Amino acid sequence: MAASHENDSEMDCSDNEDCYEDYNDYYKDEDSDVEHVDPKKTDPEYFEYKCLSEEEVERLLNETVENLSNHLRISLPLAKVLLHSHSWNSIEVIRKYEENPQQTLISARIDPPCPPKNVIFSPTHLTCSVCVTLHHVDRFFHLSCSHMFCKDCWTMHFEVQINQGISTAISCMARDCVVLAPEDFVLKHLQHKTIIREKYQHFTFQDYVKSHPELRFCPGPNCSIIIYSKDIKAKRAFCDQCKTIFCFRCGCDYHAPTDCQVIKKWLTKCADDSETANYISAHTKDCPKCHICIEKNGGCNHMQCYKCKHDFCWMCLGDWKSHGSEYYECSRYRENPNIAHESVHAQAREALKKYLHYYERWENHSKSLKLEEQTLEKLRARINQKVMSGLGTWIDWQYLFTAANLLAKCRYTLQYTYPFAYYMDAGPRKELFEYQQAQLEAEIENLSWKIERAETTDRGDLENQMDIAEKRRTTLLKDFLDV
Amino acid sequence: MANIAAQRIKREFKEVIRSEEVAKCAIKVELVDNNYTELKGEIAGPPDTPYEGGNFVLEIKVPETYPFNPPKVRFITKIWHPNISSVTGAICLDILKDQWAAAMTLRTVLLSLQALLAAAEPDDPQDAVVARQYKENLEMFKLTARHWTNAYAGGPSVNPECDDKIKRLVDMGIEEHQARVALSSYNWDLERATEQLFS
Repeated sequence: MAASHENDSEMDCSDNEDCYEDYNDYYKDEDSDVEHVDPKKTDPEYFEYKCLSEEEVERLLNETVENLSNHLRISLPLAKVLLHSHSWNSIEVIRKYEENPQQTLISARIDPPCPPKNVIFSPTHLTCSVCVTLHHVDRFFHLSCSHMFCKDCWTMHFEVQINQGISTAISCMARDCVVLAPEDFVLKHLQHKTIIREKYQHFTFQDYVKSHPELRFCPGPNCSIIIYSKDIKAKRAFCDQCKTIFCFRCGCDYHAPTDCQVIKKWLTKCADDSETANYISAHTKDCPKCHICIEKNGGCNHMQCYKCKHDFCWMCLGDWKSHGSEYYECSRYRENPNIAHESVHAQAREALKKYLHYYERWENHSKSLKLEEQTLEKLRARINQKVMSGLGTWIDWQYLFTAANLLAKCRYTLQYTYPFAYYMDAGPRKELFEYQQAQLEAEIENLSWKIERAETTDRGDLENQMDIAEKRRTTLLKDFLDV
Repeated sequence: MANIAAQRIKREFKEVIRSEEVAKCAIKVELVDNNYTELKGEIAGPPDTPYEGGNFVLEIKVPETYPFNPPKVRFITKIWHPNISSVTGAICLDILKDQWAAAMTLRTVLLSLQALLAAAEPDDPQDAVVARQYKENLEMFKLTARHWTNAYAGGPSVNPECDDKIKRLVDMGIEEHQARVALSSYNWDLERATEQLFS
C-alpha cells in the first residue's frame, strides 16, 4: 500500500512539473535569462560540435571554396588550392591575396617563382621530353609554368603518383619545377580511368580534411564520420555513429586533464618502459592480515578479504578505515626530500620509483575500468533475478546503470590525472591537484563499492554518492583543465 | 618492360654517349642486359675533392614505371662519404627520392651524383659514422676519403701511414676491408680499432 501511495505522489509531482514547464513556456522570453544556465561556464568539458558525413563535409568545403571564388573573382580550382595551402582559413587567404595576389599564388605553388619565358609554338609537331615521342602540338598541355608534356605522359604521371598515395601534392614533371597540378587539371587527364579517379578524389578529400583545423576524422575503426567544430581545442568528441570518444585536437583517446603533448610523452614513456612495468601487472596480492592470495575481480579498490573480512586498500594494502573520510593518502606520491644529496644510483632508483608510482595507478584504473564493464554484466543479471523475484520493477533498477556509466566517466578522468600529476612541477599547485585527485579517488571508490553491493533499492544514498563524485570530477577539471 | 621506359633509356643512353662530359671522361654508362632494365654507370671523382682521380662504378636499375619513378641507383665502388653508405653503397639524394621529376635523365642523375661528391650534406646523412667524422674532424674525413679512393677507386693518393696500420691488423688475421672500416671509424686510432675488432 505504502509503495503505491508513494507512486501516486510521484505522479502528482511530475504532473505539477509539467504544468510548471508550460507556465515557463508561456513566459519564455522574459524568463530565459534567469533560467538559462550557460554550459560554457558551468561545464569545463563543454564542447560544441557536429558529427558530419563525408557528403556533408564535401558540401561544407565546396561552400567555402565557392564563397572565396566569388569574393576574389577567381576560378573554383584556384580557390581550392589557395584554401588548402592556407589550412582552409578564408580570411587569411583574402588578406594575403588582396595585399599581393602574385606572391600569394607563388607561395601556394600555383604560379612559378619566375614567370615562364614566352615560347612561340611555330612548329606543328613537338617531341615530348618524357616519352621522347613526336606528337602534334594539340596533344600537349602545360600548367602555369608552361612546361609542355604530352597528354599520355600527364595521365601516366598522375596514375603513378596517385598509386603512391600522392594527391594534392602532385607537381609538374619538369626538373626543379614546384608548380602543383590543380584538381581540374588532374581530373581532365583521368577522364576514362574511373578507378584511379575515385582513388584521387578519395585522397584529396583526406588531405583536405586533415589540413582543416576545424575537421577531424573519427578514429573509430571503419568509421567515416567527421567531427566539425569551430572550437579547436583538446575537447571530448563523441562519435554518434561508432560511439568512439576521442580528443578533438589530437584524435587520440580523450585525456583530460592532461594535455595533448603531455599524454603523448606519457604514452611513449609507458611503451618504452613496459619491461619494468611488467612486474606490476601481477593481478594478485596477498591479504595484509591473513596473507591469503586475493585476485582482484572488480573495479573497486576497497577490498574485503573473503576469508578474514579485513577491509584494505588494493593500492597501498593499508587499512581501509584510514582512507575513509578527509584524506585519501594513497594517490599522493611522497618524494624523498633529500634526493638532491643522494648518489646517482639512488636518484635513478627514486626516478623509477616515482614513475612506477604513477604508472601503477594509471594501469590500475585502466584495469578497473575494464573490470567494471564486467560488473555491469553481472549487474544486469542480478537485476533480472530481482525483478523476477518481485523485488521492484525493471524501471526501479535503471538508476544503477546510470550510476555505472557515471562511475566509468569519473574513473576515466581519474586515470588521466596520473600522467598530469607525473609531469607537474612540485609546489602548492601540485599539492592542490593531488588533494583534489585524492578526494576524487575516495569518492569514486565509495561509488564503486556501493554499486557493486546495491542490494535494495536504496536509491537516495547512491544518487547522493553519484552527485558527490561528479562534483569532485568537474571541480578538478574546472581548476586544472586548460585547453 | 613498359614501352616508354625502354624508349627513354635508349634515347638517354645515346644522350650520355654523345654528351660533352663523356668526351671529358667525367661520366659513362654501359648496358648490362639487352632490355634496358639494368645499366652500369661510372663517374669520375670531381677535381679538388678527396675523390679526385678515382672512378666510381654505379648500379642503375630502371623500374617499369620509369621515367615517372626515379631509377634505383647505388655505388658498387666502396666510398667514404656522409650521404653514401660505406656498407651497401645506398645513396641519400633527394632527386632519387621525392624530388625526382619525369623530365630528368640518367645524365642529370650522374651529374647530380658527381655534384654530391663535391658537396656533401652531413645534416642529411646516409652513413652516421662518416657524417659525424665529417662534422667533428673534417681533415680526418678528407684523409680517410682520399685513402678509400686510393684503395677502391684507383685514386693516385697513397697514404703509407694508413696502409701500414691496415697491414698490422691484417697480420693479426683481420680481413683487409674490415680493418679499413674499423680504423676509419675510429679516426685511425689503431688501439681503439683493435679493441673494437677483438671485443
